[in-house]
Amino acid sequence: MTVKALRAIADGKNGLGAFVLQCRKLDLHYCDWAGSSKGMNGFIKSLLPKFAAANPQIEFAVSPRPGKHPVVVGHYINGRTKPICVRNLSPYEILQKVELLRDASGEKLRRTNKAVLSTKPSVRGIWSPYHGKGMAV
Amino acid sequence: MKRIRPSRWSGQLLQARCRAGIAATRQPLFLAVRCQSTSPATTANESSDLDSQRPPLPAPSFDRAAQSAKLAALHARLSLPRKIPLQTLARALVTPSADANPNFNNSNLAYLGSTIINYHVYEYLVCKWPRLPMAILYEALRAYAGDASLQQIARRWGVESAAAPGEEVDPGLLQWKAGEEQMVNTRWGYIRAEAAKGQAWRRGLSSRVVLDDDFGDQVSSSEPEKLEYSGLQSEAFGSVVRAVIGAIYTHCGREEVKSFVKSHILSRELDLSKLFEFKLPTRELAMLCAREGFEAPVARLESETGRLSRTPVYVVGIYSGKEKLGEGAGPSLDVARRKASMASLKAWYLYSPGNKVRVPSDMMEEGARPWTAPYIDIGEII
Repeated sequence: MTVKALRAIADGKNGLGAFVLQCRKLDLHYCDWAGSSKGMNGFIKSLLPKFAAANPQIEFAVSPRPGKHPVVVGHYINGRTKPICVRNLSPYEILQKVELLRDASGEKLRRTNKAVLSTKPSVRGIWSPYHGKGMAV
Repeated sequence: MKRIRPSRWSGQLLQARCRAGIAATRQPLFLAVRCQSTSPATTANESSDLDSQRPPLPAPSFDRAAQSAKLAALHARLSLPRKIPLQTLARALVTPSADANPNFNNSNLAYLGSTIINYHVYEYLVCKWPRLPMAILYEALRAYAGDASLQQIARRWGVESAAAPGEEVDPGLLQWKAGEEQMVNTRWGYIRAEAAKGQAWRRGLSSRVVLDDDFGDQVSSSEPEKLEYSGLQSEAFGSVVRAVIGAIYTHCGREEVKSFVKSHILSRELDLSKLFEFKLPTRELAMLCAREGFEAPVARLESETGRLSRTPVYVVGIYSGKEKLGEGAGPSLDVARRKASMASLKAWYLYSPGNKVRVPSDMMEEGARPWTAPYIDIGEII
């Protein structure tokens, strides 16, 4: 028995087998009195029931926050949250913000300058100076 | 042990003792109206006086499962079939550490699920990499279906644990607490006669196949070994995944559960070549060549640079006759030779018939093509 085994954990790739939506919960805060919540109240009344029925993976929580601007907070599976203030926005603009939160992964935004990020080794391999005919100097 | 001196006790302790009789008649917490709760508060009229006098349940009652937003969201997030009721999903979240009664916790479902997961992972591993040594096979199974891996899966599903289990807790949270008597229901194996001799007693790999559990771990006799907090936690989270898979099998059957295991567990990425640790690679390679009737392996220096410098590099290839078995580069001739032997041994062990290998459970499908036997290896080298 000369071969021994090391411990490892298989790495999950979301979407490779099953896809799990990363947005776990959406908190919608509104105020009954303030004018900046007018659009939010309209959104909750008219658009939210349809949106919630179309996205059963997300837990929706609607709660008042009197005297404050309306806020939508997305909670993600990786533990992060993403709050967006939606003061003075119309219901359809709020819908766009909510869709943005639904589709976000919860990761910090970062610039990607490679078209593909791969965990597999390169098919062609890495160039080696020790193989082939060598270079004439 | 210190003597108990009630005269020295503080007022708080003594008062709490007096109120213990009254506490039983206090209303359960969930009757109180909570405005910002995710689940609707039940009305006080539903429960009679008798109901309010009973002791609180250790975990949330199953009839509150249909009202939990978290549970419905989890059901939809996993795209579980409608045949699986929310109550079953709620039960999958109750671990034996919260509720010891096996009629209400997930231990039975988790055991069923663990057998299904281990079966599907094993058949995949054995058919895809038929030459894997037994030790590597055990660790590969653990990498896919061990507690740590399943805990990651449960967390990526968005399963969260409650601060403490109890009747008033949302049924969509994992009911778990550390430090309770753990019931090891997800392991099965024989108790060895020499178990009392301790860990130093050698266990051969062949006996592990027969006597030990699915991961090749020894099943302890009387008292299960005490796990650390993180171990208990990963066991609790892992039991959720196992129980969900057991529930899918119970309600929907074989085909559904196979595709679920395939998409959630077998789709994970694992580099098997990183599991190997060799002790005597050159000797093992020589034994392999002798067994297979190849010519004895010879190490040849292919190229080198900077022999007299501080950072030399040697590239060594291992040849058997005219066939090149493997190649390795290292800072000394011996390291390069050992690396080359490891590379050639890995090339042997990690032989695979292809990515689209068929497994025995494929034959259960309707109208399956006739079975062709997979490649079966004659066994390990030493």
